[in-house]
Amino acid sequence: MKINYSLITRRTFLNTLLGGWLLAFLSGSFLALFKFAFPTLGKEPDFVILKNVDDYMNIPPNSIKPFAWGGKLGIFFKRADGALVALKGVCSHMECNIAYKPEERKFYCPCHKGWFDETGKNIKGPPPKPLEIFEYTLEEGKLIVARKGVKVELPKA
Amino acid sequence: MNCQRLKDWFDERYDIAPLRKFARKKLVPSHRYDLWYYTGGIVLFLFVLQFITGMLLSFYYVPHAEHAHKSIIEIVTKLNMGWFFRSLHHWGAQLAIFTLFVHLFAVLLLKAYRKPRELLWFSGFILLGVSLFFGLSGYLLLWDERAFAAVKVATGGAGAFPLAGNFIKAFLRGGIDVTGETLTRFYAFHVAILPLATVFLMALHVFLVQIHGMSVPLSLKDAALPQEPFFPNTVYKDFTVWLVILGIVVTIAVLFPPEIGLKADPLAAPPEDIKPEWYFLFLFQTLKLFPGDILGLNGETIAVVLVAAGIFILFILPLLDKKSSREEKSPLFNLIGIVYLVYFLVMTIVGYFS
Amino acid sequence: MKRAAFLTLLIFFFNTVSLWGAEAKKAIEVFPSTPFYQYIIYETLAIFWIAIIGLIVIIRMKLREIERVQKLGLDAPVKENNEKQTGGDNAP
Repeated sequence: MKINYSLITRRTFLNTLLGGWLLAFLSGSFLALFKFAFPTLGKEPDFVILKNVDDYMNIPPNSIKPFAWGGKLGIFFKRADGALVALKGVCSHMECNIAYKPEERKFYCPCHKGWFDETGKNIKGPPPKPLEIFEYTLEEGKLIVARKGVKVELPKA
Repeated sequence: MNCQRLKDWFDERYDIAPLRKFARKKLVPSHRYDLWYYTGGIVLFLFVLQFITGMLLSFYYVPHAEHAHKSIIEIVTKLNMGWFFRSLHHWGAQLAIFTLFVHLFAVLLLKAYRKPRELLWFSGFILLGVSLFFGLSGYLLLWDERAFAAVKVATGGAGAFPLAGNFIKAFLRGGIDVTGETLTRFYAFHVAILPLATVFLMALHVFLVQIHGMSVPLSLKDAALPQEPFFPNTVYKDFTVWLVILGIVVTIAVLFPPEIGLKADPLAAPPEDIKPEWYFLFLFQTLKLFPGDILGLNGETIAVVLVAAGIFILFILPLLDKKSSREEKSPLFNLIGIVYLVYFLVMTIVGYFS
Repeated sequence: MKRAAFLTLLIFFFNTVSLWGAEAKKAIEVFPSTPFYQYIIYETLAIFWIAIIGLIVIIRMKLREIERVQKLGLDAPVKENNEKQTGGDNAP
């Protein structure tokens, strides 16, 4: 079934297409299997509990205070207008830690020169998404920082 | 991608020419009932899926009355994709047992069990029993209130057998009551004993199918049926069906992740309107039909004996159906098959909605 | 026959619907609650189906090819001396 000007037969073409597609399909499926089979490492917590509340609540305006979000950087940030925000201090591009530039009132990711504004919106550079903003609540003298939409269930000690 | 040297290396050591010849000669008749041929393949595929997901789940599951329930909650809430693979294992089992019943009744009504395929029927029937036991034992591993109560009822039903009943019940429960001992026992059944039995029986079943070839329904045996090569035509078709089934079971697993009840408490009252899994409903419903006391005998014992007799008759049906073993029409056994099917369907539906 | 199979499947799915409502009031979350993850999950499911449908289409194309070649007369029983030949090379 080889046409004069064709380099490959239809059968070869179909075999390659089938084989390639099947390979992609199986590797996708097995990736999911392996994800489950390997121990779940470095998964971000749904929420963290911070003890010394005042240190975080009383930071001066237009400054930040870092906290540990699992193994990653979390940032408490008081805007110049006094609003307090908790956000993940990790760039949405390649997961570098970001820094705050008080004089420009922007977050800066030094890895690929990405910029975020005070609300965490990506305004310049490669970052594809805004920064992740957390929700925080005060409860019995503890500060609970949680991912948005997560129900916080405190461990009974 | 021809790997001629590898092939030569292999050919020098093993003669696979007969196998190759067999693969080339294997033909599958195509007719208006050939749709039902796929049910066996679907079950095979789903079992492979169950084996894979089950092995992964066993990495994390802790078979101990104190920790079992909690470990499943951890799988579902903490681990990467854990919720999905538990759901997939659950729905894969449901679909496998559903397809097994379809396979059973298709074989029954098309009389594919007739001579010379009696051993296929027997091995398949035992496989169905093994699968139901798989379902029951897997269900208990969840160790929530419902599973606990369901297993209590099921093993209690086995205890109603005359003579050997109490012995069977104690063996299954690992004691007088359903306790943590039962859990370890059922775990052993679920992950060691039943899988081995399944692999062995399946190998036998598939091997026998290769020996006999596909059965053609009696009504079509004189017709000149077109045949298609098993390899590659039917293989590709089987593969397509498997893909669709995989898609369906994955979709159900994503959309309807099964719930987890409260941890089993042996001292608490069972939850309201407790029901077994749907594939036990027909048994459950049958047992409910009988009054507690018939002519001074224990009603439950009579019910269990009758059910066992019904199942046993179905099991040895190929030996009873003399006519179709001579390749003659046997309307009586058509009727018997339909009665079994209707009974199963009606009892399952009644049990579901009552 | 096909309709019967379809109906049985439909009944089977009907069973699943009732589970949906029962699950809503349970405390243990058996599905990620974060909208972000839910979005990823549904997106992955869609891609999965596209992959499956793609595979099915390719298989159908291949089946048609095979049947066409078989119709050309190669479906006659293969002779013994052809034994060595692998399936891919005997196109006319």
